[in-house]
Amino acid sequence: MRVGVYFCNCGINIAGRIDPEQVKARLQDMPEVDYFETCGFLCSEDGKRFLAEDIRNKEPARVVIAACSPRDHEANFMRVLESAGLNPYLFQMANIREQVAWVTSDPERALSKGVSAIRSAIARVRLHEPLEKQKLDIIPDVLVIGAGPAGLKAALTLAAADRRVVLVEKDPVIGGKPVRYEELFPAMECAPCMLEPLMGDVFHGEHADRVELLTQTNVVEVTGYYGNFIVKLRQQPRHVDPVQCIGCGECVAACPASAPNEFNCGMSERKGIDFPFAGALPYAPYLDHQTCVRGKGDECRLCKDACPLGPDIIDLDAGELVKERNVGAIIVATGAGLYDCSALPNLGYGRLPNVYTSYEFERILSSTGPTGGELVTKEGEPPGSVAIIHCVGSLDDGHVPYCSGVCCQYAFKFDHLLRSRLPDIRITHLYRQLVLPGKDGTTLYREAVTSHAVDLIRYENISEFSLYSCNSGNGGTIISVGQYGKLNADLVILCPAIAANQGAATLAEVLDVSRDRWGFFEELHGRLDAAQSKLMGVYLAGTCQSPMDIQQAMQQGMAAAGYVLAGLIPGRKLEIEPITAAVQTDRCGGCRVCIAVCPYKATGFDEESRKSAVNPILCHGCGTCVAACPAGAMEGHHFTFAEITAEQEEALG
Amino acid sequence: MIRHNVPAGFEPKIIGFLCNWCSYAGADKAGTAQIAYPPNIHVVRVMCSGRVDPQFVLQAYHKGADGVLILACHPGDCHYKEGNYRTAQRNRLLKLLLGQFGIEEERCRLDYVSAGEGERFARIVTEMVESLRRLGPLATNHHGKEA
Repeated sequence: MRVGVYFCNCGINIAGRIDPEQVKARLQDMPEVDYFETCGFLCSEDGKRFLAEDIRNKEPARVVIAACSPRDHEANFMRVLESAGLNPYLFQMANIREQVAWVTSDPERALSKGVSAIRSAIARVRLHEPLEKQKLDIIPDVLVIGAGPAGLKAALTLAAADRRVVLVEKDPVIGGKPVRYEELFPAMECAPCMLEPLMGDVFHGEHADRVELLTQTNVVEVTGYYGNFIVKLRQQPRHVDPVQCIGCGECVAACPASAPNEFNCGMSERKGIDFPFAGALPYAPYLDHQTCVRGKGDECRLCKDACPLGPDIIDLDAGELVKERNVGAIIVATGAGLYDCSALPNLGYGRLPNVYTSYEFERILSSTGPTGGELVTKEGEPPGSVAIIHCVGSLDDGHVPYCSGVCCQYAFKFDHLLRSRLPDIRITHLYRQLVLPGKDGTTLYREAVTSHAVDLIRYENISEFSLYSCNSGNGGTIISVGQYGKLNADLVILCPAIAANQGAATLAEVLDVSRDRWGFFEELHGRLDAAQSKLMGVYLAGTCQSPMDIQQAMQQGMAAAGYVLAGLIPGRKLEIEPITAAVQTDRCGGCRVCIAVCPYKATGFDEESRKSAVNPILCHGCGTCVAACPAGAMEGHHFTFAEITAEQEEALG
Repeated sequence: MIRHNVPAGFEPKIIGFLCNWCSYAGADKAGTAQIAYPPNIHVVRVMCSGRVDPQFVLQAYHKGADGVLILACHPGDCHYKEGNYRTAQRNRLLKLLLGQFGIEEERCRLDYVSAGEGERFARIVTEMVESLRRLGPLATNHHGKEA
C-alpha cells in the first residue's frame, strides 16, 4: 500500500508551530508512507494544481492531507483527487490546524499531537474502500395532494417549469378553506377574487395542460421512493362531466332530494346534485350518493333528463375509479382544521344556538354562504352585540400550548366587517394573548381599538368561562368570566386553535411520513427544512405542517416546488451519496433493531429472506443503525468498524 | 474502586468521538478562536454520535486510553434528528458495563457541544484531563498487549 502524505504549511499557521521536517522524520517507521510533500497553501489554486499534478505523477494508492479542518477543504481536495484520477474516498485529512496548531501552546506537544493525528490518518486510509455515487433514473413528475392555496401555488409553479403535475383534491371543489371566506386580513381583499386567477390557471392557464386535476380523490397507496414513487389514487364519481357542464343548474332545480350542506357547516340545505356553494370550481355540480334517492333504490333520473346539454353530461352509473401514477416527488398540502370546541363544554358550542366557530362565522359572512352574506342570528335578527373569544384551546396546557398566529388578525377582520355592516353593533374581544405579527399585522387591530363600539378584555384562563342562555329566550347568550363579571351577546364567535386535519393520520400512514405530537406533518428541520418531511421526496406545504397564514402557505408551496425543481432535474440522474449503511446479509439475524433506530425509514425488512435491507436513497449516513446492530451485520461505508478502530489504535499506539 | 499511585508526569490519553455537525465544528471553533487546551485528546470524527459503537469505547481502553469522551449535538439539535438520544440511551448501559469492569465513571463522559461552543469544548477537555490526572492511568490497561 503506497500512501502519499501532503503537509500544508498554511503559511505559518501550521508550519510555525509544527515543523514538517520533524513530522517527516517521525513517519519513517511507517513503511506504507511512499512520500511526504509540503506545500505553502494547498487550498490555493497553485496548491490544488500542484496536488493534482503530483498525484498524477506519483500515482499513490491512498492520500493523506495534513492541513486544516475537513469541514473547510475536504470537499475541495476530494474534487482534486477525482480530477487526478484517484477515487476521492481513498483519502483522509488530518486536522492539524484547528485541532492542533491553533490550540496547543507547547511546540513539542503540538508536534507530537500533529504526528499522532497524521499517523492515525495513515492507519485509517489504508483501509479505505473506493466508493462511487450511485446514479438513478428519475421521474420528474410530481403529485400534489390538496388544492388549497399551498397546493395550487406548488402545482402551478411546477407546471410553469414544464413539470407534469397530478393535483388531487379530496373535495369536489378546489381553493381550500380561504375560497370559502368573504374577505381576508389584513387588506380586506375578496378571497374568491384573490384565488380565482390561481384556480383559473389550473383549468385554462398557459400551463394547464400539464396539470391533471383529480377532485374527490384520495391517495390510497404509495410505493417506491424519491425519484420514483408509484401512487394509487381512488376517485369518487362526480357523475357530472365538469368539462362539458356549463353550470346552468337545471339539474339542481330538478333534484327532489336534499340534505344539510357540509360546505356551509350544515347551516343550509343542498340538493342531492348541487354545487358545494355558488362560484365553486370546478364549475359543475356533483352528485352526492348519501343524499340521492337512487341510493335508496329509487330509479329517479330527473337531473339527467333536465340537463339542456343532453344525456351525456350526467352519468348516473359512473363508479369509483382507481388510477395509478408514477411520480418522482410528492407535495403534501392537505391543510388543517380547527380545534374541537366540544372539548371546552363551558363555551356552549353545540348547546347554545348562537355560538359559532370562526369557520362557521366565515360562512355566515360569505355571500356564497348559508344566509347569502346576510348577518343574522339563528332567530333571523341582526345581532346587536357580538362577543369574540380568542385563544380557544390555544396557549393552554390543557388543550394545545401553541399560538396559531392567525386568529387575532381574523378576529379583528370580523370586527371590521361587523362594524361596517351593522353600524350600531357592540363588540367585545375576550383574549388571552394578542398576537399580531408581520408588517400589516396591527392594521385592523388599531382600527378596532380606536372604535367606541369595541371593548377588549384580557382573561387568564378559559376554564373561568361559563356561557348560558338568556332567560328572555331571544337566543342571546350570557358570558360569565370569573372575576370580570358578565356580559350579554346576541352572537358569540369562538376562535379555536388551528389543529391537524382528521385525515392527516391516514395519509401519514399511506405516505409513511411522521407527524408531530399535535398531529401536524413533521418537518425535517423546523428552520432549515420546514417544507420537507423526514422522508426524502415528500415535501410539506401550508397548514398541514403548522398553523400559518395564507402568505406563508403560498410561500411554502413555492418552497416545496423549489425542492422538487432543484432535486429532480429531467435528463439528470439522482446522485446518491455513497456514505450510507449497508447490510451484510450473511451476518444479519433479522432482529430489526436497525429498523427501530433509523430516523429516516431507510432500513426495511425483506420478509422473504427475513433480513434487513438499507435503501441507500433514503439513508442519510448517520451510522446509528451500524452502532446498534448486535450482530455487526450493518456496515457504515467510510466509517467502518475497522477504519475507526485502526485510527484510534494508532492514536493510542 | 482501586486507588492507584499516579506516576509523576502522567499524561492521560483521551479518545474523543465527535459528531461532524455540532461537536467537531465546536472543536474547530476552539481552534479558530485559538483557545488553548491540553493536547491529550485524539479526536475521531464520526458523522453522528449515534455511530459510536460501545465497542469503540471498550477497544479504546483496551488499547491504552485513560478516558473516552463522546460529544454530541445538544438534545433536540441532532442533525439526524435523534442520533444523540440513541447515544444517551446506549451510554447509560455502557456505564453500567464499565462499572462492572471496575472502570471509573469519570473515564467515560458523554456531553454536548454545539458548533458555536469552542470555549465549552476546550473546557470539557481541560476538565477531563484534570480529572484523569487525579485518577491516574487506567488500572486494567495493558496497552494493547494481550495478557
